[in-house]
Amino acid sequence: MHPILSNRGRLLGYLLLWVTFGALIAGVIAVTGEATLRWAEIFAIPLAVVMGLQCLPCWYLVRGLAPADVPTWRLMGTWLGTGLVLLTLWLAVATLWLRVLKYANLNPNVDPGTLIPLLVFAGSVGVLIAILGLYSAAASERSRDAERRSLQLRTLAREAEMSFLRRQLDPHFLFNSLNSVAALIGSDAVAARRMCLLMADFFRKSLKFGAQQTIALADELTLIDTFLAIEEVRFGNRLRRGLDVSEEALTMLVPALLLQPLVENAVHHGIAHLLSGGEIKVSAKVRGSLLDIVVQNSCDPDRPISRSTGLGLANVRGRVESMYGTRARMDVENEPETFKVLLALPATPVEAPSARSDR
Amino acid sequence: MRVLIVDDETLARAYLAEQLAEVADIQIAGQAANGFEAVKMAEELPCDLLLLDVQMPKLSGFEVMELLGERAPAVIFVTAHDEFAVQAFQIHAVDYLLKPVEPLRLQQALQRARERLQDPDPDRVAVSAQVALAARPPGQWLERVVIRDGARVHVLAIHTVDFVEAEDDYLVIAAGGKRHRKQQTLAQLEAQLDPARFVRIHRSFLLNVERIARIEPYAKDSWQVFLSDGSHLPMSRSGYQRLRTVLD
Repeated sequence: MHPILSNRGRLLGYLLLWVTFGALIAGVIAVTGEATLRWAEIFAIPLAVVMGLQCLPCWYLVRGLAPADVPTWRLMGTWLGTGLVLLTLWLAVATLWLRVLKYANLNPNVDPGTLIPLLVFAGSVGVLIAILGLYSAAASERSRDAERRSLQLRTLAREAEMSFLRRQLDPHFLFNSLNSVAALIGSDAVAARRMCLLMADFFRKSLKFGAQQTIALADELTLIDTFLAIEEVRFGNRLRRGLDVSEEALTMLVPALLLQPLVENAVHHGIAHLLSGGEIKVSAKVRGSLLDIVVQNSCDPDRPISRSTGLGLANVRGRVESMYGTRARMDVENEPETFKVLLALPATPVEAPSARSDR
Repeated sequence: MRVLIVDDETLARAYLAEQLAEVADIQIAGQAANGFEAVKMAEELPCDLLLLDVQMPKLSGFEVMELLGERAPAVIFVTAHDEFAVQAFQIHAVDYLLKPVEPLRLQQALQRARERLQDPDPDRVAVSAQVALAARPPGQWLERVVIRDGARVHVLAIHTVDFVEAEDDYLVIAAGGKRHRKQQTLAQLEAQLDPARFVRIHRSFLLNVERIARIEPYAKDSWQVFLSDGSHLPMSRSGYQRLRTVLD
């Protein structure tokens, strides 16, 4: 959008500026004593307005030639050429205008020879001012744009964070856990209290880790441990868990809350469908430059083929791909009685020990 | 009122039992930890009301109702999920309670059950046909078929079913060389199955298209479909057209 042509008020203001400029030239002509002030005004003000109109299309050049993006020689060359063309055109118009005034018998015997140098000077100043003005308009437009974009980005990031947390917290997990608490209050108040504390611990950790990009595997495992402790209260001995993680693997960085949804899937699509339950096992070890992580669970061999674990897995895969690209891989092994997710991430150690000092 | 509690979570059962213990006119007939136990107990024990969880391993609450058919007692569903409520009332459930269960809501539901038992809903006669339809999760095709075989219950994953044949007033479901009988009409079952997977090739046959080995013309306007296990089924002209629209 053209900043001046797109708004009638702005166009009027712009032309008024040029009228003022014309009056200034008229004043100079009158002072030199070449002509009366009245003639000079009739001569110079329309010419100044013409100059203003001539300079309007320069906006498109200004937008295309940002000083930061274009080499200086090209910038200078383009503007010198443009300036010369504008000035020549304008001088031609001025000569024509002078003739018109002469035929209209308004000619007070002005000598064009003395007027031309003055007009060249005034024209150059006018073109220069117009170009600089348009550049400053472009700069303010760009900064407004940048501000709007950064606001948009911040909003997007915030939304992503919120929806991430929402995905993390399955409401049915909350309802079922609260139902367990309600049941325990009648029969075993100590266990009920423990369950409340486990839930508080789980939500607090989810919020804390969810705000971080990567965390130590050890931290992710404490979150999973709390989650499974809660599910154990619900499922009793139907839920069995195994852990096989090397000391070295514990200190590696993993994307925050990457494994938790896999373990949640393992409960909801695996253990919950087995009459006598099954095992969820998390193993991890460092192999060369890679961190191998396996989350596996027992599952019902008669489960329908199309059972939709798809969405949760797609989310995990999407995060792994966006963070590591081709440096990481994720495989799914869907065997009759076992479901396995295998991750190979770049092994990045937690650098400063202070990263885990709060534990 | 004799109540049977069905839930796969021990604590959820204990909670309901505790709430029911305080109500004078209620005896707990039993507690079932899964759908199979629930079907067995509902038939063997005298009971008037089921408090039934929906999501349980192997057999869902709706499948339990389907298997019990006309012998099913009145039912109150108890679940953490609110998305099954419409299905629940389609099969004339007395009430639908969300976990964690509010004691007051439970009392209201029990009151409704008392009223229902004194004045049985005449519409419930039609229930069995609708129960089967409601067993399908909302917006999805049926993923498994449940079958009563005397005291036993079979759960067939839908991809194991080869074909279904209509005989008199029941169905024969062929799956992996075994044949199971089920009290249902072919049209009812057909409506619940993914039409891209199961095609009505004949007035009395519904076929899993993945089992087709080859098709041979038999007579004018009739064909024979050979299955991968060597057996064959008749196919009518309209069945042939339906199969073509699916396979094309």
